[in-house]
Amino acid sequence: MKQFLLKIWSHCVRLTARWPSIASIAPFIPVVAAWWIVTELQLFPRVFLPGPAEVVRSFGSLVYMGILPAYLQDSIVRLAVGAFWGVALGIPLGILVGLNQRARTALWPLLLFFQAIGDIAWLPILVIWFGYGLTTITVVIVYTVIFPVVLNTVLGVRSIPITLHRAAQSLGASRIRMLWEVVLPGALPNIVTGLRNGLGYGWRALIATEIIVGTSGIGFLMFDARRSGSVVEILLGMIILGILWYIVDSWILAPIERATGQRWGLVTR
Amino acid sequence: MKDLTIRNLSKTYFDPYAGTNVTAVHDVSLKVEQGEFVCIVGPSGCGKTTILNMIAGFIPHTGGEILVGGRPVKGPGPDRGVVFQSFALFPWRTVLENVAFGPKMRGVRKVERERIAHEYLALAKLTEAAGRYPAELSGGMQQRVGVVRALANEPDVLLMDEPFASVDAQTRMTLQEELTRIWQEKRPTVIFITHDVQEAVFLANRVVALSKGRVLDDIAVDLPRPRSWDALNDDARFKELSGRVLQLVRSA
Ligand SMILES: Nc1ncnc2c1ncn2[C@@H]1O[C@H](COP(=O)(O)OP(=O)(O)OP(=O)(O)O)[C@@H](O)[C@H]1O
Ligand SMILES: [Mg+2]
Repeated sequence: MKQFLLKIWSHCVRLTARWPSIASIAPFIPVVAAWWIVTELQLFPRVFLPGPAEVVRSFGSLVYMGILPAYLQDSIVRLAVGAFWGVALGIPLGILVGLNQRARTALWPLLLFFQAIGDIAWLPILVIWFGYGLTTITVVIVYTVIFPVVLNTVLGVRSIPITLHRAAQSLGASRIRMLWEVVLPGALPNIVTGLRNGLGYGWRALIATEIIVGTSGIGFLMFDARRSGSVVEILLGMIILGILWYIVDSWILAPIERATGQRWGLVTR
Repeated sequence: MKDLTIRNLSKTYFDPYAGTNVTAVHDVSLKVEQGEFVCIVGPSGCGKTTILNMIAGFIPHTGGEILVGGRPVKGPGPDRGVVFQSFALFPWRTVLENVAFGPKMRGVRKVERERIAHEYLALAKLTEAAGRYPAELSGGMQQRVGVVRALANEPDVLLMDEPFASVDAQTRMTLQEELTRIWQEKRPTVIFITHDVQEAVFLANRVVALSKGRVLDDIAVDLPRPRSWDALNDDARFKELSGRVLQLVRSA
């Protein structure tokens, strides 16, 4: 018996070594299996908890009708636009606050104050100002992304050892070049962490915003499904959220983190 | 390479917690000729780092003047290369890019600055490590990179603050021998700070003993070069000089 299990285990190890994506799918197999068993046993009425097969079928038909690809695109573009502006504004602001004592004294309390208000708390007033449209959604995403980016950038800038600044100056670097050669790379691991947190919060804020003010997108799909009582589509939306985040994290963010902090020895492996 | 003149240099720190002034350096005067290797030696807290940081321009001085090639020091600059105790290599740059950093800031073209960097890496026997990142090197190798990075920028004066204090004893001896060899080849003007009397005598043309922020004495080291620990360990002249410096430093 033990021999047999070991054999299966070594098989699994070899398999996942050859196709790493299997390793990331494997943990979900028991979850899906449990879900399937629960629905097959009819512990809950079907309309309350549909099974995996129905969700897959609903996925197929929504893709076929073109609704899902369009909504997915809307959500991703919104997140990308919001994240872009959040980063484009957040990094320079973080560097300014991190480097300049006076800017820090002036801006730090404001940053903490506005961070505390939270993204969704802005929705009521934003809807009055900008209506139910892309502007409102973008503002919320930028607002959500910018704080983790700014705060982590400040942290990163301030964690750069003074000897690195001094070394660069003694080698003839001007103030402007110091930004590019020392400050930015030195803060980069923290900036990536900030981006990672920001995108995570931004993604959630996006779905919440779409539920409240959206006319398309994954959040809207889920809320619309609730109106028509389609639990299948709600479940589908939830699964898509999880999978999308998984993809963004493991295909985009994690590789950036590996390429920066780890090779440079700034982050422990 | 140019000479360095320090006249009546002093430094008073303000301690904001105690609300008092601390004078770390009193009235230090020192002249270092072009191509000289001067070691400043003294016990912990005697103001060595403070002096070096003022020469480097990292901190302002509160009295006297510092002239490099006749020009007063105002802030850090590429005429004074610095080697740090903590190495201070750029972790996001390869060894080659670290060494090429100074020339890059001067606007030297990529091909040319990499040629320069390779030349200096070869001088420190680091050719193999050119493509690696600092985190992938041992402490001894990192400090070799630190030394040649400063040298590759051809500063007028090379400032070193206990650069070998954080490596093990064997590596330190190797690095000291290498430094004397490189110095003989390139003849930079060097100010080397240490609390290790033997290290000071081994490396220097001249040892300046410091205590409580004042210069005690200035001792010429006339040992022949090239120097090696094998030869000097039992050398009578080396022992005599080290003994003299040690006594000087301890007596204060
Ligand atoms: N930033 C500072 N503020 C206040 N006092 C300082 C500051 N830096 C150094 N001192 C004081 O100045 C004196 C000289 O310090 P310094 O670091 O120059 O000594 P050192 O000779 O380099 O010692 P070590 O061998 O331990 O490195 C010490 O008494 C120290 O407490
Ligand atoms: Mg010191």
